[in-house]
Formats: sequence, C-alpha cells, structure tokens
Amino acid sequence: MERFIAGLVKDFESGKVDRREFCQTVALAAVVYGAGDAANAAPERGLKVIGINHISYTCPDYAKARDFYTSVLGMVSTPGKDNGKRANLMFGPEPGKGGSFIVARTAGTEAKPPSKAVVDHIAYTIANWDEARVRGALKAKGLEVTGRDGSLHVRDPFNYDVQISSAAQENAFRR
Amino acid sequence: MEGFVAQKLHDFENGKISRRRLIETLTLAATTVYAGGAGAAESPGLTAALVNHISYTCADYKKAADWYSKVFGLDQVGATDHDVALPFGKKGEQPYNVAAKDVPLTHLGAPRPKSSALIDHVAYTIADFDRDKASADLKAMGVENVRNGGPYSLHMTDAFGYDVQISGLANNALTDG
Repeated sequence: MERFIAGLVKDFESGKVDRREFCQTVALAAVVYGAGDAANAAPERGLKVIGINHISYTCPDYAKARDFYTSVLGMVSTPGKDNGKRANLMFGPEPGKGGSFIVARTAGTEAKPPSKAVVDHIAYTIANWDEARVRGALKAKGLEVTGRDGSLHVRDPFNYDVQISSAAQENAFRR
Repeated sequence: MEGFVAQKLHDFENGKISRRRLIETLTLAATTVYAGGAGAAESPGLTAALVNHISYTCADYKKAADWYSKVFGLDQVGATDHDVALPFGKKGEQPYNVAAKDVPLTHLGAPRPKSSALIDHVAYTIADFDRDKASADLKAMGVENVRNGGPYSLHMTDAFGYDVQISGLANNALTDG
C-alpha cells in the first residue's frame, strides 16, 4: 500500500493525476484493501488469509445467540437468512467486501468428527475504543465484565467466553 | 475518506507536512479505515468491527502453529512456553490473529466455566480464492480431508482434527446458508 501511495504522490506531483483523481484513488484503494485485493495477495507460502469469513456457532437455541450478538455487539441478522434454525449475523465491512459473520445455529443431530482442539473464545475489535463507554455499554446490558482495560470479557447466554478488544491494546504485536 | 485525503494533500502542498509524512498518513488511513470507521457513530451500544483474534486451545500449540503457518503462510510472533500468536499480515496491517494455546483439553473445565455452545468451525477468507487450485495446493501440502463446501468454499481438518473452512469473498452472509 505504501509503495502504491508513493507512486500516486509522484504522479500527482508530475501532473499525471489531478487532485480529484488523487483523492478518489486513495479512497478506492482503502476500499479495495479492506476487501483483500490482489495487492494483499502474493503469499510467500501457503494460502493468503485476509480475514475471518465466518464463525460457525452451535448452541441449544440459535435465537438466544442471535439476540445477544445483535444486541450487545451491534451485529445485523441478514434479511432472508433466518430460517428458524440458524441466522447469519453480519459485522464489519459489507458482505463480499471483507465483512464477517457469525452463523448462529441450533445444534442438530448430525455428528461431526471429534476434534482434539477447541476455540475457547473469540475476541471482537470495537472501533474507536473508549474504555468508559465500552464498559458502560456492557454493564447496561446486565453483563458481568472482567478482564483488563482494552481487553474485556463477558459471557454470552450459553456461557461462551466473548472478548471485547481495542485494536491498539490487543493485537499480536503487543503481547 | 476523500475529505481526509484532500485535507492531507492540502497540508502537503502548503508545506505543513512532508512528502514522507503524507505517504505514511495516507497508507495508515487506507489500511485502517474499516477498523476505525464501522463504529464511528456514537451510540449507546457497541459495534463489532472485526474479529480481533481466535483463541485456539489444543494439546500442543507448536504443532497447531506449524500447521497454520504451513497452510496459511502465517508468521509466528511472541511465542511463550504455552502459546504463540499468528497474525494475518505484517505489523501495522490487519490487527487480528489466531492465538494457538497449549492447554490440555482435560484441564479446560477447571479454569473456564463450561459453555453449552461451541465454535464448530472457523472459515477464513483467502485472497484470490480459486477452489480447484486451492484444493490441489492443500493436497500437495498433505492437508487431510480436503472437501468441497458448496460452490464457494473448501473444508479440511487441521492437525488436531478441527474443521477449517476457506473461501473467497463470494462466500458471505448473503450467499451462505
């Protein structure tokens, strides 16, 4: 991205692109970046992960999970995708442009092969983190909040551990 | 975004910021616009903007970390004696990751209250996803149980038998299910 913008600045200085084109191109680049364009590709090894597509969440009653995640984390239940057994709960960028979603589903009878690993919690990033505001919003929902500043934990209706994080205070490079 | 870019460009033209500063500022803005924008509007509730990380617990974090590094090309950072983080991208890019933790399953019940829900699989979005090519690549890497998951995705099992799905942007909340 930095190299791309440096080239664009050069083009602007030499008159190849005008002010309007410059601003539009940078804005478009941001959208493309969020969608994981080929500019983010070119993996050195393996497949290039650009984000979480979805999380499959299985529980005794999907509706309770749907209501929790839409109420507490502002997710949106996708119109036409709630069939009484599952719902797609969207968050982040638009669908198809890098957005993620939870598939909340009621446990069925189909058995999955056993795994020796578990995903013991998921952490969600809240934009524009304000410690007091985040803690207040969670408490206003009647949730018990644990954790440290910038990295809070609550329990969902099925006692699943949900972490609420600041991108600045909770990321792989600040461990 | 465009207004912000125009302002920075104006600052550059008027000598308020250097060329290098302009490039750095626009690069940062372009790569973090989604994380910063989704919850910008003040509201009483919260809005999840991104997945920050997934905490993955298994009997041997090194084995898990090596599998995810191999299949998804992830670096391993901040290793301790019991866990390591595998960020999607380099420092300053996308701030979320998989953290592989080394906690024996038999001990999970003690420190963590039991949940009646589980995450039965996680799906990752892959750049320039081509199902047939990805399938061939995975099989060449020795990944087990690679199978189609509808028209837009593949499933496989990781080093601990956990179900992992991959797809492109075409698999999304509007098309899944």
